[in-house]
Amino acid sequence: MQGRSPSSGFYRALTCGAALLLCAASVHAEATPITHGTLELIARNQWIAARHTLDVGLLFQLEKGWHIYWLNPGDSGEPPRVEWQLPAGLTAGAIEWPAPRRLGTGSIADYGYEDRVLLIVPLHAAASLAAQQPVRIGAQVKLLVCSHEMCIPGKAELSLTLPIKSQPPAPNTPTAELFAATRKSLPRPAPGSWKFSVTDANDSFVLTADVGHQITQAVFFPLAESQIENAAPQKLLTEKADFRLTLRKSDQLLKPIDRLKGVLVLAGDQAFLIDVPIGKAGTARSNSGNGATK
Amino acid sequence: MKRSTLFPTLLCPMLLYPMLLCSMLVALVLCAAPPLVSAAKVGAAAPDFTGTASTGKTFRLSDYRGKYVVLEWHNNGCPFVRKQYNSGNMQQLQKQWSSQGVVWFTILSSAPGKQGHATAQEENDYLAKMQAAPTAALLDPTGEIGHLYDAKTSPQMVVINPQGVVIYDGAIDDKPTTDLNDIPGATNYVSLALQQAMAGKQVETSATRPYGCSVKYSDATH
Repeated sequence: MQGRSPSSGFYRALTCGAALLLCAASVHAEATPITHGTLELIARNQWIAARHTLDVGLLFQLEKGWHIYWLNPGDSGEPPRVEWQLPAGLTAGAIEWPAPRRLGTGSIADYGYEDRVLLIVPLHAAASLAAQQPVRIGAQVKLLVCSHEMCIPGKAELSLTLPIKSQPPAPNTPTAELFAATRKSLPRPAPGSWKFSVTDANDSFVLTADVGHQITQAVFFPLAESQIENAAPQKLLTEKADFRLTLRKSDQLLKPIDRLKGVLVLAGDQAFLIDVPIGKAGTARSNSGNGATK
Repeated sequence: MKRSTLFPTLLCPMLLYPMLLCSMLVALVLCAAPPLVSAAKVGAAAPDFTGTASTGKTFRLSDYRGKYVVLEWHNNGCPFVRKQYNSGNMQQLQKQWSSQGVVWFTILSSAPGKQGHATAQEENDYLAKMQAAPTAALLDPTGEIGHLYDAKTSPQMVVINPQGVVIYDGAIDDKPTTDLNDIPGATNYVSLALQQAMAGKQVETSATRPYGCSVKYSDATH
C-alpha cells in the first residue's frame, strides 16, 4: 500500500516494518477458518521461475470427527472443488489426490480424509513468464465438511502472493517437507513387473495380482463412481506371491465396463494406481436376474 | 455387523436354560440385522412395504399398482435436500407429477435423535411451511423401508412403474452439488424417467449414483 511518503522517520520505520511483515507473510498465508477446521493455501517454493512447475497446495486441518471427500466420494458426500485466479503465464494442473481412507461402517461407505490432508496442485509457469513484482494467486474453494451426523457446505477464498524470478526456485523451508512427504505418499503407477488381471464374475469383479511378494492387506478404491458396491467387504485371498480381491459390483452398474481403474492400497499405506482391462471369466454362466450384461 | 448389546455371549454355554437364552439371543441378533440380500434393483419388482404417514394414515405400496410411484428419501437438515427445497424445485416436481396421477411418497428414514428425524407434527409443520405436496410423508424411523430399498443418501429417488417394477433408482439430477444455482441447468432424472416411461419408451438412464448426505439409520456410524 503506497501512500504519501511519510515525512517523519517514525512513519518511515512503521511502513518498512509493515512491508517486512507483509513480505514474510507472502509465501505462507494464514490458515482461514472453515466449518470445523482450517484451510490454507501454501507454496512449496519461495518464488516462481519461468519454465518451472511450482507445487501449491490446499492444506486442510479438520476437527476430530469431521472429514472431506476424495475425487470419488463413495456413497455420499462431494469432493472439494477449486477455481484458480492466476496471472498470465501460469496454468494450474489437476489436484493430486492422496490415497483416501474408507469412512464409515455398515451399509454406507465413503472415501475421504480426516485430520490433516494436503491437496497438491502443480502450477506450470510458461517460458514467457518474466521476472516481475509479486503476483497474486487466488483460489476459490467450494467444500463440504461432514461428520457422521451432518454435512456443512462452505466456501473459502484464499490467496498467495509470490515473486517471479529468473533463478531456479528455492524451497520454502516450513512447507517444503510437508510437500515432499505428501508427494512421496501419493499413489504411484504400479511397478512394471507386477501383473494384474480382472475377471467379471457375474455379481463381482475379481482382481488377481502378482506383486512379487506375499501381501497381508489390500484395499481397492475405484476412480469412477457406480462401479463397485462401496460398503461391501473386499474379500482378500492370498497365495504366496498372488492375491485375489473380490469387489462386489454396484447396483448402479447396468452396462458392462472395459477397465477397472483406481488406487490399490497395500500394507504400510503403499498406494498404487492401477488400470486393468476386464476379461470374462472362463466358464459360461447363466445371466443374473437383473440381466445386466449380455 | 450389528452387535447385541443386551446379553454378553458368556451367557451361552452348556446348560439348557442358558441355551434357551442363547437361542433367543441369536434370534434377536438375526432379526435385528439389516437384510443381507441387496434391495430393489432396477428392472426388478419394487419390494412391497406399508408406511405410516405424518397424518397418521397408512399406505401400502402394492395398493398403488396401476400407477407410477416416486419414492423420495428426505432429511430436512441435509444441504443437498435443502438445495431442492429452498429452491422450490422438489415441491414443483411433486405438484407437476401428482397432477399427472403419479403417487409421491417422501420417506424419512432417519433414526430418532439423528438429523432428518421428525415427529408427525414436526413433519406436518415442515410440509406446510415448505408448501410441499407429496401424496404422503412416510415416517420410517426404524429404517425398515430405507434398508428395504438400500437407500444410501438423501435425496435418493426411486421411480416405480404401474406394473410395480423399479424403472429408476439414484440421484435426483446430474449435478451432484449443494448449490441451488445448479438446478436450472440440471437434467432431472425423475422427470426424464417418468416422461420416457409414460411415452412407452425405454428409460435411458435407469440407475445413477445417488448424491446427498448419508441416510442416518440407527446403526449408522457414518
